[in-house]
Amino acid sequence: MSAFGDFVEGPLLWIAWIVFIVGSLGRLALFFAVAGKRDKPIFHFFNLKYVILTWLRYLFPFNQTVAKSPVFSLLGYAFHFCLIFVPIFIIEHVMYWEEETRFGWSWWSMPDTWAYYMTLVVIVIGVVFFIRRLVLPHVRIISTFSDFLVIVVTILPFLTGWLSVNFAGSAFLDAIHIRLLHILSGELMLILIPFTKLSHFLLFFPSRMVISIEWGRRGYSA
Amino acid sequence: MGIIDTSVIKKALDEKLNARLKMYLKICSRCGLCADTCHFYLAHDRDPKQVPAFKVRPLLELVKRKGEVDEAFMKNMYEVAYGDCTMCRRCSLYCPFGIDMASMIGFMRTLCVGQGMVPDALQTSIDSYWEFGNQMSVSDEDWLDTVQWMEEELQEELPGATIPVDKKGAEFMYTVNAREPKFYPMDIQQAARIFHVAGADWTVPSKPGWDSTNLAMFAGDIKAATHVGNLTKQAAIELGVKKVVITECGHAFRNVKYESPVWLGEDHPFEVIHSVELFADYLRTGRIKIIEQGIKEPATYQDPCNVSRNGGCAEEARYLMETICADFRPMTPSGNYNFCCSGGGGAIPMGPPFRHRRITAGKVKAEQIRKTGAKIVVTPCHNCYDQIKDLGAVYELDYKVVNFKELINEILIIPDELKAPEEEGDE
Repeated sequence: MSAFGDFVEGPLLWIAWIVFIVGSLGRLALFFAVAGKRDKPIFHFFNLKYVILTWLRYLFPFNQTVAKSPVFSLLGYAFHFCLIFVPIFIIEHVMYWEEETRFGWSWWSMPDTWAYYMTLVVIVIGVVFFIRRLVLPHVRIISTFSDFLVIVVTILPFLTGWLSVNFAGSAFLDAIHIRLLHILSGELMLILIPFTKLSHFLLFFPSRMVISIEWGRRGYSA
Repeated sequence: MGIIDTSVIKKALDEKLNARLKMYLKICSRCGLCADTCHFYLAHDRDPKQVPAFKVRPLLELVKRKGEVDEAFMKNMYEVAYGDCTMCRRCSLYCPFGIDMASMIGFMRTLCVGQGMVPDALQTSIDSYWEFGNQMSVSDEDWLDTVQWMEEELQEELPGATIPVDKKGAEFMYTVNAREPKFYPMDIQQAARIFHVAGADWTVPSKPGWDSTNLAMFAGDIKAATHVGNLTKQAAIELGVKKVVITECGHAFRNVKYESPVWLGEDHPFEVIHSVELFADYLRTGRIKIIEQGIKEPATYQDPCNVSRNGGCAEEARYLMETICADFRPMTPSGNYNFCCSGGGGAIPMGPPFRHRRITAGKVKAEQIRKTGAKIVVTPCHNCYDQIKDLGAVYELDYKVVNFKELINEILIIPDELKAPEEEGDE
């Protein structure tokens, strides 16, 4: 497995990051390229105050969507918060960046217990979302195969990572190369982001920008 | 309905599928948060097929198939786009990404128009716009006759009152809904009375442009909509007015203020004001005086989608209600988050084939009104006016529907010097 392992931790990791970054920025660039030609009203009526306000309202739970559907919304906020901050600040990743890459990057790492519970939050809420999508008629009717797939793809790196850290030394996990699975599943997620609705992490910004400009023309922020 | 001309669809996709539409198709996360924001969904006992994200599916499908669709597909798109959505944009207020689903439905309507698929009654009004410059086939002569008639009647009460026609350089040009000269000429007189007491410097145009509604806009016929929007713009420019005031109508306001500058590619060289804003200004500045809170019966306010949420006049309307009514009972929710009455987006003008659907979806509005216990529903929009009247009859609710002009005129304090001198023998 060693040659494959080297590939996964080496070139494939590079490929995954490049696809993720270039793909995501490319999608954003495509939006602005087309918008420049066909969506002139966005620029004509652009109003920075309303754009910033709407981003803040929705990056944080200070909006009417939360008021209307508090349980699902707050689960979503908890899920996304942990999803973003665990990979960035978990000590195993920080050490990896510091030691394994030539960049020598280093930053604060979160206590192990935080990572332990926050990772569980991602996994458990991910499973709740999967079940919700199956069970609620108004969500099921609009769901596609991809919607179920991306939940699995998102949970996998967190599940494999959690197992590999908290059950280190387990013979079974060693046998299935849990660490390799973790890296592979992370790479899969990175590669899929630009090509699925996971790109919403970036498109959130231009999308909310557009609607805030519309409401802003009417003199209110939402 | 014949064979589908897919080349027309492909051309529309090539030229008009813009960055926003493409992004919306991509970014919907199928979260389902839009479901219970929609009055169609709620009124249909939470039928999943009425989820807004589901209703825009035909567009996603059509784009995936690159326009290669058949008659059955387009017929379904037609039914959904015209019958299952009033393009009120309430869903966009709650979508985490702010997806403008109404604009997707609007594009679906445009694709239907490209295949000659428009509700008959809407097409009739579009034909009328091209021929007469207004939606009700009112001739220029009939328009002027009605204006003159209303002026003469008004002068019996207020000798100095006029309805100036083509007064160049007036402060504002007043535009109406074509229904007014056709069926509700008193609306014009009531506006004129208020303007006279306020000492307004105003005019109406003699030529097309006096009807500022734009049903072509909601039919999805952008070519016709642009033409109609331009009629009002050119009339205003020719008269050299600083402002265009819109009668109590939602579509007209949306058309003139917000959409026609986009179609015409430039801002208007004049301000656009809705009657609600004008009346609020008159009351605040004391240009007109009323018996404070002179309307005693319990009253509620219908926020027309194109005057509040898509118009920006929710606060002024609230001020008017609080000033005019002694017992104002807002609906829940109210303001920008109020529900659509389900008469807009062209629903009423679509006529009998679509009546049942708008009445069913209007159940949500009927329930909101019932909960307030109001005996008067005030709404500054012709479509809401009709729809809410119909809802009252169908859902057996006991209220009357009025607009602000009617109420203000009831409690307007007219200075004696403006009134006609009393004749001998009068009390």
